[in-house]
Amino acid sequence: MTQAHIRTPHPAAISDQEYQARLDRLANHPALAEENVQLKPSEASGVQHILLGLGAVGLAATVAGGFVYDLQHALASFEIAVFSSTAMALGALFFVMVYHMTNAAWSTTIRRQYENLASMVPICMAFVAVALAFEIFSGGVLLQWIGMDPHSDHLLEHKSGYLNKAFLIIRFLIYFGVWTFLAVRLRAWSVEQDRSGDRWLTQRCRFNSGWGLLAFALTTAFFAFDFLMSMDFRFYSTMWGVYYFAGAAFSSLAVLAMLFSWLKIRGKLDELVMPEHLHDHGKLMFAFTVFWAYIAFGQYFLIWYGNIPEETAYFVFRRQGGWMTLGTVLIAVHFIIPFFLLISRVPKRAPKLLGALAAILVVAHIIDITWIIKPMISAGEGRQVNPMSWWVDVAAVLGVYGVLGFFMLKKVSSVALIPMKDPRLEHALHHVNYV
Amino acid sequence: MTMAERQPKAGSWARDIAMVLGTYIPGFARPPARFVTEQGKPVHGIVAEFDNVVKVYHAAEKVRDAGFKRWDLYSPFPIHGVEEAMGFKRTSLPIFVAAIGFCGAGLGLLFQYWVSASAYPLVVQGKPFGAWEPFVPIMFELGVLPSAFAALFGMLMLNGLPRYHHPLLSREQFLRSSDDRFFICIEAEDPAFDAERIRSLLESAGAESVDLVEDDA
Repeated sequence: MTQAHIRTPHPAAISDQEYQARLDRLANHPALAEENVQLKPSEASGVQHILLGLGAVGLAATVAGGFVYDLQHALASFEIAVFSSTAMALGALFFVMVYHMTNAAWSTTIRRQYENLASMVPICMAFVAVALAFEIFSGGVLLQWIGMDPHSDHLLEHKSGYLNKAFLIIRFLIYFGVWTFLAVRLRAWSVEQDRSGDRWLTQRCRFNSGWGLLAFALTTAFFAFDFLMSMDFRFYSTMWGVYYFAGAAFSSLAVLAMLFSWLKIRGKLDELVMPEHLHDHGKLMFAFTVFWAYIAFGQYFLIWYGNIPEETAYFVFRRQGGWMTLGTVLIAVHFIIPFFLLISRVPKRAPKLLGALAAILVVAHIIDITWIIKPMISAGEGRQVNPMSWWVDVAAVLGVYGVLGFFMLKKVSSVALIPMKDPRLEHALHHVNYV
Repeated sequence: MTMAERQPKAGSWARDIAMVLGTYIPGFARPPARFVTEQGKPVHGIVAEFDNVVKVYHAAEKVRDAGFKRWDLYSPFPIHGVEEAMGFKRTSLPIFVAAIGFCGAGLGLLFQYWVSASAYPLVVQGKPFGAWEPFVPIMFELGVLPSAFAALFGMLMLNGLPRYHHPLLSREQFLRSSDDRFFICIEAEDPAFDAERIRSLLESAGAESVDLVEDDA
């Protein structure tokens, strides 16, 4: 693609003179001093080493769990960690594209951290590939249809055009390709703009966010169908893709709120990420708390009313014994507690409080994915969940999140904490909530 | 402009509620005015006219710092940051809306449970009597709709709307507030209302003129 081809004038684009004037006005802005917008690798290394150590111990304990119990339990624990963290990276990717699509000015100072989180997608997908390899080579561990003869079950025979090994691998590669391209390129263009000051990179991000959002909607939904819903191949819910997306958007905002809180405590982003920005970030968290509850109830309600055996089995099992307790806890920490805490203006504007609150939401999302995956062990005949195996889940979550946290902080400390030459940066510095 | 104070309880809850009732419910008498002129006309407040935005902005800061609560600033266009100069407090509307919303949702739950579990139990699709699931959409609707109404009508009520007439509109000069003049009006309902003090305050803030406004409604 030649430069001339890209540089088609666009009505939304500002002139070169205006862009240069904006950069000049910000040239000596005290908030853009290096110690405020750069997390030095040495400042992050302490936390990074803790996270990496936690990751190694956690993953080793997960493997040990596989020997103590069996492959199913260990893989279920591993997938809880992998699919919840993948959701977080995907949610961040979604918001990056939405901000570009809507030409959002207010989010400019916080967008770089969204880009950093989104760029965890390739690593998450590497973990998914590990899980997928276990599924394929062991002939179906949690995705039990992989190891079954399609003619042995009428429903499976009916679905075998979609649920087969070759197509699953093809779809995995499509998801991997689309997400990696979007996450890596959107971040790379933004970082490139820091150096080159080419305002057309903003336009390029915007163009790619257009088709990207459409592709994201389809790939996220089908990813959730393929890797979570099909663990019980009889079960289906058309709401499933939206449910996974709702949790993704919710948890990505929570992780980012924790990150902003941490950066503010380290004395970074002073006068850049202000209570005004966190307030709007918190409003999005509140919105997706409600959205998740709406989708979760919508899915449950229709299945409950419809009372079709293949669908109802999913909830019947989860309304028994300990799963019912976990489900009640899930409703409390994923909806009721955050709803009443986030509805108020105060926690949204206080960085430390918002960070602490966001930690609850991250745990809530992990519980959500646990509630989906762990009972799936019992979906197959003659298999039971061992109730003592909860420590493997904790180990796997610490392991995977430790490794991802290590790479995340590496990304955060490798570039400026905000897009330094974004044309909308000046607006973001003066962002105010009037309500 | 000598005035006699009739009722000293300005700013009290009872007086505010009586004011609202008197405004919205026909036949409900509003409490008598706190101050009257020598001719016995009720006093609405004291208005000051300013000829530029910088003066009115700093005058607003002075009025705020003098501790006045019931007053307003009139300008032909929005003034950036004026809400800080006027010392705006956050509105109490959200609490009102939340209370109405939860009452609506709670009533929705109560009535549905009463009908389906006690008053007229009916087997629908083999579901248990009093199952909570079908109640949720209606609880949601009864939470949201009254909340929206509470927000709209509560906002109007807190703003003292709707009204047919405002005492300030009787003044020819005040019509310039939609053209090229700025006004500050401190109302007689303010607990700290003191005509002489207000006059000297506004004049020292650079007002072109300071006048008494009668309540001619």
